[in-house]
Amino acid sequence: MPAHLVIVRDPPPDGVPPGPPPVLGREARLRAMVDQHVNFVARVLRNAGTPDAEIDDEVQRTFITAARRLDDVRAGAEKGFLFKIALNLAAHARRTMARRREVLAEEAPERIDTLATPEALTDQKRMRQLLDGVLDKMDESLRVVFVLYEFEEMNMSEIADVLEIPRGTVASRLRRARTEFRERVGALEGVTNREGKA
Amino acid sequence: MKIPEPNRLLDESNSQLERALLGAGRVAPSSSKTRTKTLAALGLAAGSATLLTGAAGAATVSTAAKLTWTKLVLGVSLVGAAAVPVGYYASTHHNAPDTAATQSAVARVRTAAPTAESIDDMIDAPAAMPTDPVARASLTRELAALDRARLALASGDARGVLGQLDAYQRSFPRGRLALEAEVLRIDALAKTGRASEARQHAQTFVRLHPNSVLATRVRAHLD
Repeated sequence: MPAHLVIVRDPPPDGVPPGPPPVLGREARLRAMVDQHVNFVARVLRNAGTPDAEIDDEVQRTFITAARRLDDVRAGAEKGFLFKIALNLAAHARRTMARRREVLAEEAPERIDTLATPEALTDQKRMRQLLDGVLDKMDESLRVVFVLYEFEEMNMSEIADVLEIPRGTVASRLRRARTEFRERVGALEGVTNREGKA
Repeated sequence: MKIPEPNRLLDESNSQLERALLGAGRVAPSSSKTRTKTLAALGLAAGSATLLTGAAGAATVSTAAKLTWTKLVLGVSLVGAAAVPVGYYASTHHNAPDTAATQSAVARVRTAAPTAESIDDMIDAPAAMPTDPVARASLTRELAALDRARLALASGDARGVLGQLDAYQRSFPRGRLALEAEVLRIDALAKTGRASEARQHAQTFVRLHPNSVLATRVRAHLD
């Protein structure tokens, strides 16, 4: 089901025109944001490169940051607001990780494991690591669009709204991102097939 | 001309590997604990299970059902107050060195900074609850005292909170939940217009517990 950028509410009774989103107290609003968007925020953080071990802390930081600026968020725009905060936090975490990797890279060369077996394909942890590798190589601007379209199932207009870019730009970035994704996965499959035959 | 929406790759891909990777990207790496910890970090009670919505609520109920009675005592505190005190209790260490700031309320806190993991540990590890009946009763009283203070703060009685926190400190000079009490004090000071005092306490808190998740919340008073 596609994700939406507005709070989904029960339909009004017949004959009653839809009004503005309900006005909630600060605490109730925060709680509603957590209940509705905690999984979304966690997924965005993870797909933006935040390691599993840091997800809970970064989710908390995302909501704490949102709470500080809650008065600036118009009703119905909470999801996009949380998305931007999560993306910034993930970018920060990624920069920190990249610095660590620069040190580690000299010590441990990259290794691609065999992926051809059904066991490997159903191993979520392994697939997650592999997906991280594919996404990490994508340009940030392409990656964001790819994640929102393919994983969050947002439509292109919603992505254009939240990223504040034209819909045409979303379409072209998505096209390039999908091409890159397929090429990289294809290359991995090639490695797998060669390993399988060896 | 409107650009058409392409199908999702997952719906049209014939590659098993592509489909497996796209499926992995849709998995949320969060759990019911993520929600509980987030609400706690925001200073919000975890809420009654009956008020929870969707999968998060179901997961929390499911988790609660698995708790032993010992954990349930703490589970009640999760519902009635917040997960944070539990985290504090789980991470209690009474060997932290005193600092020059021992004059302040924060410096009287001898607990280590709570971490997200400590709350996990508490929920997962029954051994974290004291087996000694006296210690157990003491912790329960501490939780009740902070519950009262938290409720007073939520109902707008910020001055009453400060009185209750003073009483807490007298009753539990080395309380296991003293760090949580200090965060409540900072909130209450700010709400009663004593901004400079709130800021002072917040600065001390952040200096002593810079890596605590709660420090992120306390930093709001320094902005």
